[in-house]
Amino acid sequence: MENIAELQHVSKLFGGKTAVDDVSFVIPKGSVTAVLGPNGAGKTTVLSMMLGLREPSSGSVRIFGQSPKHVQVKRRIGAMLQEVSVIDGLKVHEVMSLIRSYYPSPLKLSEMVHLAGFTPEELNKRADKLSGGQKRRLGFALALAGDPDLLFFDEPTVGLDAPARRAFWQQADELADQGKTILFSTHYLQEAEDTAHRILLFNKGKIAADGTPDEIVSRLTSKSVSFMADLNGDEAYTAAEMVHRMRSIPGVSDCKEQEGRWVVTADNTDTVLAAIFRYNILARDIRTGQGRLDDAFELMLTHDDHEKEAVS
Amino acid sequence: MKMLLMQCKVEMLRIIRNPYYVFWSLLMPIVFYFIFTKIVNTGIDNAEAWQAHYLMSMTTFSVMGSAIMTVGIRMVQEQSLGWAVYMRITPLPGSVYFISKMFGQTVMHAFSVIVIFIAGFLINGVHMSIGQWVGSGLWILVASIPFLALGTLFGTMKRVDTASGVSNIAYMLMAVLGGMWMPIDSFPSVLQTIGKWLPSYNYGSGVWSIAAGKAPDLKPMLILAGYLFLFMVLSIYIRKKQEAV
Repeated sequence: MENIAELQHVSKLFGGKTAVDDVSFVIPKGSVTAVLGPNGAGKTTVLSMMLGLREPSSGSVRIFGQSPKHVQVKRRIGAMLQEVSVIDGLKVHEVMSLIRSYYPSPLKLSEMVHLAGFTPEELNKRADKLSGGQKRRLGFALALAGDPDLLFFDEPTVGLDAPARRAFWQQADELADQGKTILFSTHYLQEAEDTAHRILLFNKGKIAADGTPDEIVSRLTSKSVSFMADLNGDEAYTAAEMVHRMRSIPGVSDCKEQEGRWVVTADNTDTVLAAIFRYNILARDIRTGQGRLDDAFELMLTHDDHEKEAVS
Repeated sequence: MKMLLMQCKVEMLRIIRNPYYVFWSLLMPIVFYFIFTKIVNTGIDNAEAWQAHYLMSMTTFSVMGSAIMTVGIRMVQEQSLGWAVYMRITPLPGSVYFISKMFGQTVMHAFSVIVIFIAGFLINGVHMSIGQWVGSGLWILVASIPFLALGTLFGTMKRVDTASGVSNIAYMLMAVLGGMWMPIDSFPSVLQTIGKWLPSYNYGSGVWSIAAGKAPDLKPMLILAGYLFLFMVLSIYIRKKQEAV
């Protein structure tokens, strides 16, 4: 499959601080990729290097096999940047016509109007007088003005309400169905999980994980066993003892009491179940569960914070 | 080519729709002209020469203002609103963007010149030969280039407030000290010496010569060229430094 974008060992330093640290990945044609990560993880920096807005400190960024600054590349990409930017003094339809004129084979004006969902009245408004949501819709239509092959959306749904957010992702899905390659950044885990074929999980400037949403979930989530236990009748099992016993089982990362239930987090739930029977714990209502990506995400971040503490 | 035409058209639309342009560049100079030739300075000798002279002062005042203010503040606005960043990901070459900005601005200047000249003609019946009218207009347009460069220099500022404050002060100081509001001969000698080295005085001096039926001296041309060079070098240097992120 043809690669639309290739990043090799890309790093970016800002005043001695590493924002992006030795990142490499390829984006195949027709894929929908989510760049996921907390704020300050380097998502926007990676995107701006791919857009040719910033120069990598080291490494190479190639889009369609060329430098992102090449005009041939710019003709084939479209982007919605994080900052809502609108030219002043022009009406909405004038802005659309202006941006259309930059591309060799643009969408029809009527198609752009349809994409943005503007009424004739809105089209005659000054672009800088639009509401935040309307500006987003304009930005979306402008990103598609040149009928691009590769689309960038940087945090596209920040500040949108739920229906607008749904509408946006529905349109993104339609674009993906047309075979367009899409790269978007988000810190909404649900969006990455629902829309992307692939997630690049960024943390502290590095790719922490790269895979399908399912793979990311299974790689990063730990499973848990929860049960009710009556400890009062048996002095051998005080709460402290329970925690100690459970934590000594290989693969168990946590054991705590939550609202009357014991929750044991572990890589393998079977060993936990075996241990419960081995230690003769009077457990009832035993349940096993799998964490969602949100939890995994949380876990990864807290895990990293511990590491940082250990280092410093 | 289509891009360039579209871009020029858009830049002109944006200027004419700007209420500040209409006020500062058209209304103010005409009102001033009316006041200083009809109400205040009546009854001086050689009224005709004064009326032609002051018409040129007000036209240069108008064009200098819109060159400095519109260009500079626009650029800061586009930068701070993120529009300038957006333009960099479109296939529009930066040069076309810049050229059309300057071209659009110059067309608007030509429009200001025509409007103010007509106002002068209507208010005082200012009488000059066709050659003088055309020559004055051309001088005002061509010699406004250093002020466009000064505008781009102010355009490198980070905040709209700073840029508009600084360019306003620079504009007013240059207009007054350069003798655009009242002839420089009426100033104390220290101010006269300073004033004569300002770009604004030299901008005016060329066209005052034309209005008085003389050819402009070489000196204002050289001084203006020097300022153009200075402003361009500074503006390019600052921009390069900012882009090196």
